[in-house]
Amino acid sequence: MNETQGSLKQYFANIREAVTSVSKGMGITFRAFLKSNGMRKQLGSVDYGAGPVTVSYPEVKDDIPLNSRNRLFNHVEGCIACNQCAVICPVECITIDSRKKTADENLDERTPAEFGSKPKKLKLLRYEIDEALCCFCGLCTEVCPTECIVHTPEFEYSKYDRDKLTYDYLNFKDDNPLPKG
Amino acid sequence: MSTTQEEFRTQEITINMGPQHPSTHGVLRLEIVTDGEIIKAAYPDLGYLHRCFEKHAENREYLQVVPFTDRLDYVAAMNQELGYCLAVEKLIEVEATPRAQTIRVIVSELQRIASHLLAIGTYSLDIGGFTPMLYAFRDREHILGIFEELSGARLLYNYVRPGGVARDLSRGLEEKIREFCRYFVPQLVEIEELLSGNAIFMDRTCKVGIVSPDMAVAYGFSGVNLRGSGIDWDLRKVRPYSGYEKYEFSSITATLEHGVIGDCWNRYNCRMKEMHESVKIVEQALARLEAGEIMAKVPKAIKATGEVYLETECPRGNLGYYIVADGSKQPYRVKVKSPGFISLACFDELTSGMMLSDIVAFIGSLDFVMGEVDR
Repeated sequence: MNETQGSLKQYFANIREAVTSVSKGMGITFRAFLKSNGMRKQLGSVDYGAGPVTVSYPEVKDDIPLNSRNRLFNHVEGCIACNQCAVICPVECITIDSRKKTADENLDERTPAEFGSKPKKLKLLRYEIDEALCCFCGLCTEVCPTECIVHTPEFEYSKYDRDKLTYDYLNFKDDNPLPKG
Repeated sequence: MSTTQEEFRTQEITINMGPQHPSTHGVLRLEIVTDGEIIKAAYPDLGYLHRCFEKHAENREYLQVVPFTDRLDYVAAMNQELGYCLAVEKLIEVEATPRAQTIRVIVSELQRIASHLLAIGTYSLDIGGFTPMLYAFRDREHILGIFEELSGARLLYNYVRPGGVARDLSRGLEEKIREFCRYFVPQLVEIEELLSGNAIFMDRTCKVGIVSPDMAVAYGFSGVNLRGSGIDWDLRKVRPYSGYEKYEFSSITATLEHGVIGDCWNRYNCRMKEMHESVKIVEQALARLEAGEIMAKVPKAIKATGEVYLETECPRGNLGYYIVADGSKQPYRVKVKSPGFISLACFDELTSGMMLSDIVAFIGSLDFVMGEVDR
């Protein structure tokens, strides 16, 4: 850029170039400053653009789509212990134990008319998910025939101890309340 | 030697740049031999982000590998998935449904915009411009919002599957993407105005890190890095996949507008111009989106024999998947040809004689992601 720095003409040309290109950038900054609320309307529903975009997180929460893939939850009353979620999981974070039901046992809390299809054949003894291992790929929720394992939009469940992230869904307890649904 | 000379004598010093250096874009360690401010040699040291992707893939079913491909190039996950899924589809001889193909084009072009925005934003940050980074991230945020609504995740989507895509476009999302395209073009022009003609930016990038066309071909560069050296090679044009032959767009190569062919500025400029083309493709794809199935008939447990190699045009270059199948549920071997690894190969030759501050500009312009280099 500075090959012809020697000549006086070039010297002033350099100054002019620097001033114009800097003022061009500053012009954009000032334009954004002046119309800080006008640009928001362009995107309709999505509220970004010039103007404050930071969400002051713990006080204000951003809207998370209902179908977003965060923490897993298993509604055990619907689980038929088919083991498909444990098989498809690429990181093997789901552990299931089950046994065959005995002849006089009724595992379904609902009446036959309600569950529609066949009654449960396996008794679920253990359903554990190590949420620390989970990679949130969503494959388990897709193979589940009864749709009892779901991703919830809940994402605030960090713990001080890694072991506490292993959840036993048959007697589920957690410090953080879970969203309903 | 007099005492003054001894005090001021120069010597070569080896310094380490990285692996925690902010402008190496990931965990890359560079061993730089310097003579004053001039670089004598620079040796990239890789492997800090090695996660055994290829070995993991050998022990997973075909479908289970898809979440792992996300983690290769984590800023362009959609494109990585698409490459793998196309390779598996070629292996089991299934073609995705027309609607799925169009959705794939939409998501991979949106992802290309997001990836280029990140590349340009951090590049300008590396060489001292703070504003364009904020602008780029603001617009990238919209795309991540669209992807979150579409797939449920913001970064690692697991959305493209062998045979189609996982979810259909949710209600209103089509209009949202259209809105984004309308909104984005003026914003892009604004970012361009901030950077392209800026005197400081040009001083830092023009005539720096020149990769000549011959050298780019000899090293096997691809994607933007190759087109920035003036060679017109775009896989979407040369070897169309996923129906890219139906769309009207031009592949962007280096111009003589500023600097010389193959320098950092031209690589940056190709990225900038390519986003305009991507917006065009997204708009065309939205117009030709037709109702239909999103998933072709694919067996639940994919089994195949034979081998397949397939390359796709990713934001960082041509990403290739080589899959060998032996008839079992799991692939026998998966090899990834990553464009970033190839970009790093030229360091030894190109950086000698460069100023130390220029290497930051050079690294940023090559735009590699270490997740994909180390795999």
